[in-house]
Amino acid sequence: MAEQRGTVGGPVLTEWFARPDLHTLDVYESLGGYSALKKVVTTMTAQQVIDEVKVSGLRGRGGADFPTAMKWSFVPKDHPGPKYIVVNADESEPGSAKDRYLMENSPHMLVEGAAIASYAIGGHQAWIYIRGEYDLPYEMLRDAIAEAHAKGYLGDHPFGTDHALDVRLYRGHGAYICGEETALLESLEGKRAQPRSRPPFPAVKGAWGLPTAVNNVETLSTVPWIIRHGGAEYASRGTEKAKGTRMVTVSGDVQKPGNFEIVIGVTYRDIIEGLAGGMLPGRKLKVFWPGGSSAKVLPASMLDTSTDLDGLKALGTMGGSGGIIVMDDSHCVVKAAARLLRFYAHESCGKCTPCRVGGNWAVRTYDRILANEGSQLELGILERVSDGLQNGRCLCGLGDAAGWVIESTMRHFHDEYEDHCLRHECNVGKALAHA
Amino acid sequence: MSALSAHLIEEIKALPARYPQPRSAVMPALDLAQEELGYLTPEAMTEVATALQLDAGYVEGVATFYTLFHLEPIGKHRFYMCTNLSCTLRGAEELVEHLRGAIGVKEAGEVSQDGLFSYEEVECMGACEYAPMCRIDHRYHYDLTTEKLNALVAERRNPSPVQAQAAPPHPPPSAATSPQGGEVKKTRKKKGG
Repeated sequence: MAEQRGTVGGPVLTEWFARPDLHTLDVYESLGGYSALKKVVTTMTAQQVIDEVKVSGLRGRGGADFPTAMKWSFVPKDHPGPKYIVVNADESEPGSAKDRYLMENSPHMLVEGAAIASYAIGGHQAWIYIRGEYDLPYEMLRDAIAEAHAKGYLGDHPFGTDHALDVRLYRGHGAYICGEETALLESLEGKRAQPRSRPPFPAVKGAWGLPTAVNNVETLSTVPWIIRHGGAEYASRGTEKAKGTRMVTVSGDVQKPGNFEIVIGVTYRDIIEGLAGGMLPGRKLKVFWPGGSSAKVLPASMLDTSTDLDGLKALGTMGGSGGIIVMDDSHCVVKAAARLLRFYAHESCGKCTPCRVGGNWAVRTYDRILANEGSQLELGILERVSDGLQNGRCLCGLGDAAGWVIESTMRHFHDEYEDHCLRHECNVGKALAHA
Repeated sequence: MSALSAHLIEEIKALPARYPQPRSAVMPALDLAQEELGYLTPEAMTEVATALQLDAGYVEGVATFYTLFHLEPIGKHRFYMCTNLSCTLRGAEELVEHLRGAIGVKEAGEVSQDGLFSYEEVECMGACEYAPMCRIDHRYHYDLTTEKLNALVAERRNPSPVQAQAAPPHPPPSAATSPQGGEVKKTRKKKGG
């Protein structure tokens, strides 16, 4: 395994990451691992688990920021047949690598969290849908699950009780859209991954038509700590409404890229200049994506913005999946936006017309602009396409995200767009290509 | 003559029992087929469909949706080069250009004369702190430079006996029975949607 870049010995998720061989059950358990699962299945009711997580204030870390306890409570308690936890380990938001970091360091943490969540919704089986490119995390989870079965922590009688628990793996095969929960469920069912219209919501009709809660890797990895230390202890960190800690991935033009565990509420300056070591020598920050490529960009002047999730929403952007992409003054915003639009157009599943058509329209427009064939017309087209992609015109958020890239880069860097479209020049010292 | 071996067909027939509903077996089954053949031929997809009691068109519909399924020969070693923003900010595009020269191909999808290599540009693979990065033979490679790419190519052109034995835990799908030979074949661009 490569040298890990990021927080070890942080307050919650990365607490034990300095320990060698944490991925083995022996080491994980010696530090207190699986004590939460044991406590849950031997001493707590499902409702007590949900209540404890509710006290913690934990919200989903996949990007949607939905309260975890509430999601679990939507799964009908009286449903007679199977119910599922589905773990979204299809991390593929550009700029986000934190779920991989968590799984590679501590696969048992996710297995334990998934088992606790299954118990909380009265289910017996959790399915981890993991992206196909994650070979190493897949192997580590597979081995972790086998170890947990061998020890009797999973299986028909976990810790000697009668509430059977199992965690299974399903591999994705390369489709960003699977990060969207209903597309993921389609894929898990062996179909092309196209989002479903809602209602019915997954809590009522999810995987294989049965009640399901879909949770992100980081969200579930946090749950064992909350059970061990109590929801109140977790809630003592963070801001008034956005509790606890979270992972962020910092990438791009910084000295020390990495996956960092932050207490929610620190500023982006703390992260980019502090944890990530600041900009490369002689360069200045130009712009950053605060929560994955789908979050509206913030210019350098907004570096003191807080990571408070509600504050970010108030600014019209989001903390999203925590992927912070940092770009300095040697790079061109128009070229960066063009690259991201190529991504969104490629990953559109094709189900909704605004996203299928709009993404490709934007790509063709950017191509003309970068070939010095742009004019006022192209600026107008981008504005209209951006608008057409947004505001709930599609079944999922992929189209909106594509529109946000256009809209937010045009809003903050209109001069660069004008340089390209009206004067056919790029005034950025250097092209996007890095020497 | 069937495209897939008899024991593989049996393995595929056993897959549906692992899932709450049998249809979920389609991707794991296509995985097995691709592992055996190196890529998915129309015959292989039809045989997967028959083994799973699904419509052949349905199976092909799934295979064409996901980028990790290949419908054309890909060579023995496929470079998946991330060129999304975090990697491009750190020089991914120059690396792709260098790679084309290093493996002797003109464009994405083309298989090198010796049948060993091809590449494609892919979207973010979730290892942005190590940008620029790539995936080859089921493993990630980080902090890429032209020298590192040269080394990855050289190791595969002339595997030392030690390297040949230290294969990854899961053999790369195409390692055992690549049918590519020396043929140079262009692939059509495949899209997710």
